[in-house]
Amino acid sequence: MAEARTPRSWLPAAAFAAMAAAAIFLRILPLPSVPGGLPGPDLVFVAAAALVLRRPERLPVVLIAAVVVIEDLLLLRPPGLWAALVVLASEFLRTRAALVRALPFAVEWMLAGTVIAAAMLAERLVLGLTGVPQPPLGPAAVHLVATLASYPVVVALLQAGFGLRKVAPGAADERGRPL
Amino acid sequence: MARHRMSEQDYARPVRRALVGLLVVALLAVFVLWRIDSPRVERLRAALVDRIVPNLEWALVPVTRTAALFEDFRSYARVLEQNTELRRELQQMKAWREAALQLEQRNARLLDLNNVQLDPRLTHVTGVVLADAGSPFRQSVLLNVGARDGIRDGWATMDGLGLVGRISGVGERTARVILLTDSNSRIPVTIQPSGQRAILAGDNTAAPAIEFLETPDLVRPGDRVVSSGDGGVFPAGLLVGQVAQGPAGRLRVLLSADYGRLDFLRVLRARPAEPIQDPGSLVAPGAAQDDAAAPAVAQAEAGDG
Repeated sequence: MAEARTPRSWLPAAAFAAMAAAAIFLRILPLPSVPGGLPGPDLVFVAAAALVLRRPERLPVVLIAAVVVIEDLLLLRPPGLWAALVVLASEFLRTRAALVRALPFAVEWMLAGTVIAAAMLAERLVLGLTGVPQPPLGPAAVHLVATLASYPVVVALLQAGFGLRKVAPGAADERGRPL
Repeated sequence: MARHRMSEQDYARPVRRALVGLLVVALLAVFVLWRIDSPRVERLRAALVDRIVPNLEWALVPVTRTAALFEDFRSYARVLEQNTELRRELQQMKAWREAALQLEQRNARLLDLNNVQLDPRLTHVTGVVLADAGSPFRQSVLLNVGARDGIRDGWATMDGLGLVGRISGVGERTARVILLTDSNSRIPVTIQPSGQRAILAGDNTAAPAIEFLETPDLVRPGDRVVSSGDGGVFPAGLLVGQVAQGPAGRLRVLLSADYGRLDFLRVLRARPAEPIQDPGSLVAPGAAQDDAAAPAVAQAEAGDG
């Protein structure tokens, strides 16, 4: 794998870490603590999905797991479960990255959205089976919709901020190796 | 070259799959461990939060202050209106203050006549709110005081006026406060004029619900709700809020604490009630020596001595 390394091979991992740090930081800001606000999107998961579909080789699974475990612990979620689901979902998307490359964005969005929805459903199922109290269905649905809607925004941010656009089929890096 | 790459991938893929499987199993094991032995993992969580969040204070505090500034700007628009309102309230407060002072003097005279021993006054530690739970489903805040300031689990937390929540999770430099609005919060309360006991149960809305009320007919909207001190959870008599009736006829509490701007919070030092251990020599003189009904007690005492 060392031969596949290029000068900017760390960029996707750095982009993911930076976006995750910013997302978690914004979440824990002690702005008004009045309950009843609408839940926001799960930006870390969306960033992982979008990056894994764009640069499957460059976003290590260990980084995803570590970031989501830290997020679990900081945001008072049951630790480990959501991280395991995000890792499974990102691996599923990683094996389909080559396929998605040739497809239009709408189809990619649908695929990622389905995987995200399936992961959230699986989380509710496991939490229900193990008897952990979980948020009511209404806010959870809003959370899912917000997460799905944030996908194009995150993709645009990755393109504008980090220059990570989708690779065309058969594209090569600056040393001529297939990406 | 291409062949070489292919064969390398063929070799690497199953290994990678096995490693990812191992990672997922490890993560699920953490979840199962948390489900079985929650306190230990929660301690780990508190330690991690303690390690990370205070280091972000330099960034968290200015951003929060800036956001609060914008919030204040919005209220400057109504400054004249607010000013007249405040003047009127101040006038009313002066009257109340006079009444309170007279009552305090009278109360002190009566207590003196009765020779009553009151509880020592509660002392408190004040902390600054550092961070939020970060999730709309959990209502808690993180304070910048922790075990090194003597904070313990279960202590009550107030803002200037009313009860805010209780400490749950203490790190070395930070402590987490579960707010009364969190869906895990259950606080024993007394509803004031009727003196009825109830449980205040948070449910992720701005006004927590009153549960286990014996006769709801005796309770009217507007009644004062204070903590009852049942079960030794909280000191008694801390102001919580006022009763209000929800749209479904359910009784709820409008909290006195200003949850819109939780900034400085007081953590009240609770002293545990002294347990009464000996049977009392007046009730049963010499009970430990010659009472045949309690040989076990006698043996235990002999063993201790």
